[in-house]
Amino acid sequence: MSPARRPGGARRVALMAIACLLLAMAVQGRIEARAAASAGSAPLLYLPSGRYLHFAALGFDALLADTIYLWSIQYYGNYQIADRYLYLEQIYGQVIAELDPRYLDPYLTGALIMTTEARRPEMALRLLDKGIEHNPQVWILPFEAGFICYDDLRDYQRAAAYFEAALKVPGVPPLVRRFYAEMFNRAGDKRTSLKEWDEIYRTAGDDYVRGVAWNHVHDLTIAVDLADLRAALDLYRARQGKAPRRLQDLAEAGAIGKVPQDPEGRDYLYDPRSGEISYHALPVVAR
Amino acid sequence: MPARIAAIALNTFREAIRNRVLYLLLVFAVAMISCAQVLSLMTVGSEEKIIKDFGLASIDIFGVLTSVFIGIGLVSREIERRTVYTLLAKPLHRFEFILGKYAGLVLTLFVNTSVMTLWFFLILALKGMFDLRLAIAVLLLFFQFLLITALAVLFSCLSTPILSGVLTLALYVVGHLLWSFDLLQAKLTSVTGRVACRALYYLLPNLGNFDVKGDVVHGLPVGAGTVGFAALYLAFYGAAVLLLACAVFQGRELQ
Amino acid sequence: MAVLELSGISKSYRTHLSLRRYWILRDLSLAIQPGEIFGFIGTNGAGKTTTIKLALGLLFPDTGSVRLFGEDARRVELRRRIGFLPENPYLYDYLTGGEFLDFHARLFGYSAPERRRRVADLLERVGLKNRGDRQLRLYSKGMLQRIGLAQALINDPELVILDEPMSGLDPIGRREVRDIILDLKARGRTVFFSTHILSDTEMICDRVGILVRGSLKAVGRIDDLVTRDVRFWEVALGGVRDAALPCGLVVSRRDDQVLVRVESQGDLRRLIQSLNGHGTTLISVSPGRQSLEDLFLREVRSADGTAGVKAAAAAGKD
Repeated sequence: MSPARRPGGARRVALMAIACLLLAMAVQGRIEARAAASAGSAPLLYLPSGRYLHFAALGFDALLADTIYLWSIQYYGNYQIADRYLYLEQIYGQVIAELDPRYLDPYLTGALIMTTEARRPEMALRLLDKGIEHNPQVWILPFEAGFICYDDLRDYQRAAAYFEAALKVPGVPPLVRRFYAEMFNRAGDKRTSLKEWDEIYRTAGDDYVRGVAWNHVHDLTIAVDLADLRAALDLYRARQGKAPRRLQDLAEAGAIGKVPQDPEGRDYLYDPRSGEISYHALPVVAR
Repeated sequence: MPARIAAIALNTFREAIRNRVLYLLLVFAVAMISCAQVLSLMTVGSEEKIIKDFGLASIDIFGVLTSVFIGIGLVSREIERRTVYTLLAKPLHRFEFILGKYAGLVLTLFVNTSVMTLWFFLILALKGMFDLRLAIAVLLLFFQFLLITALAVLFSCLSTPILSGVLTLALYVVGHLLWSFDLLQAKLTSVTGRVACRALYYLLPNLGNFDVKGDVVHGLPVGAGTVGFAALYLAFYGAAVLLLACAVFQGRELQ
Repeated sequence: MAVLELSGISKSYRTHLSLRRYWILRDLSLAIQPGEIFGFIGTNGAGKTTTIKLALGLLFPDTGSVRLFGEDARRVELRRRIGFLPENPYLYDYLTGGEFLDFHARLFGYSAPERRRRVADLLERVGLKNRGDRQLRLYSKGMLQRIGLAQALINDPELVILDEPMSGLDPIGRREVRDIILDLKARGRTVFFSTHILSDTEMICDRVGILVRGSLKAVGRIDDLVTRDVRFWEVALGGVRDAALPCGLVVSRRDDQVLVRVESQGDLRRLIQSLNGHGTTLISVSPGRQSLEDLFLREVRSADGTAGVKAAAAAGKD
């Protein structure tokens, strides 16, 4: 007599369950294939503004912001989705920023994606403005905005304004000031740049920075002096109808207040025949 | 056989509709759907979108809560209260009991979802925002409830109500985050990790298949294929889960 | 042919954390004959409920087999012919009595008029005729036990299995359940019930089985198990003063009345003769026989020493 065992049907039913599961997985595969075929046509995004998500987050706003941020990085890094930038501003500007306004990384990453990937620097600036508004004590946001104005838009006035905002933040690293000073140089405003670098040179806390600043001051001083001298030369020519014999003539004729010397304390070189003024270490006019 | 399943289903339905929790959830859902109008006052422009988003989200959340709250106790409570003993001493197969319990809860959910949907559509119709395509979104949400209910029944066969509630809700959340497995897989370097990731991706219930809320609200086309494949997926996955529940219950000793 | 036959059933379980096996039943064989009322007696935890669950297929035995009406008990169809009431059932308290019975009737596939007839009939039979439209949450414990019994009888079963049908009931409730069981026997049905209330068992059972710690210690007709010979006499005397009695053990004493127990007929004769001239009067002489309780206690005691006696004493209290 066989002992009474558990009902044997259970194993058969379990096997049927596994068969069904395999079929379900096959269907899932088909769904994936369909989705891949139409990838890019349907934005897989469905998120209300962070202001409403806030209600749904049940106090886990920051966590939700993290999750969406992580997702966004993966999503925007996927080059297969052609129109993935459709909701770029909503994701960063509305969803994440409003869920967790003090979360800095998404502002920076969002701005980076907007400028370098989506080529929408103005959008990036709007995002950073929002970040600055919520985080006035953070220098990196105006710094980043200034960089975008400077590097992408080449709008030095706006860049200067952002950099100055960054410089007002207590505890801003000296790097920002150097960046600010150098920006004027790149923008062609060597005089302001010199003024800033000179300031950096005089307030430098360590030898390395002092050395770097000196190099800038050195080069900028030469560039500014040469520019001054050339302007005076033009003025002299216009008044006297001829070129001066020596640079000292410029001061005597009142075309320049005082003939400057180079940072090494030497006179600048002047060739009366060609009218060329130069720094004597260099064969041609520097910069 | 169907008569016995129907008897169990009817009793389960009766239990649900005489349960205060169901009405509490319904009242909350209706209140939330109505609330969307107030919220929409706070926004500029996308009022219609917010009302629709909120309505669909409410139906989603409260449908899931109903299936979880009622589903998790379906089998375990009958065992705990020993009512299952009298039933199984009758000419009732154990799988009939499971299928009957499931069918009863499906009936409950159908009524529940219908009430929420009708209220939602009524509000939309009054505002002149009614769009029949929203019914597709609700249909797919209902598919999702069917799958979650099956999972709740399975867990209810295996463990206590609290644990099965946690497990079911966890699977609901995971089921909606499965896309992250895909991304994670791309980042993994080890082959075993990638294979495990892929296996999990296909093994876990993919609830994303039932989510077309966003598409519908944004007026994007939802093809018959999407609905068809979702139905097929539900049929197979749901059958697998229910069969597993039957197998578990078949072999279970009722201490 | 036996209605219910358990052969060589063993059942053990393991706790989740330890690998130790606990035996609930060991090599249990039992056959219930048609038309009898069988009382299954045991202390709490002796394995009565486990035996019943095994018989119904709610649990699966480690070894041995269960047969119902001569067939493998795992056949679900066989349950058309049995009725079962579990111990302390909670029942569906959101249903009315009528709905509750109707629901169970549906499981047998009866037509609507058939269900109505059976429900009305049973409500009357268990004395709940006018309570059928009340929710079970409003029922008293006795009423719940009766509606539970009605549920077990909905299919007019040939074999009725009741797990502790009398426990927790007041004397009136017990009486009602007892009458229903006797009525079933009168209708030619077989009743198998477990209990630890010995007085009820002794009164209505044709046969009993005594289960002690998972082993069946005795099975049979009560008259066969318990010797009906007179084992001792209890003599009630009045007007007893200080005078010493010639023999016997004083069981109790109130004022001048004494109850004395004597072990043999010779002692009885001597005692009665000694009464002359002392002003003592004989009130009554009653022969003492062994009761089911004595047998039960003896079995428990012999099985597991003093621990068992304590358990039995505890069981006897309720």
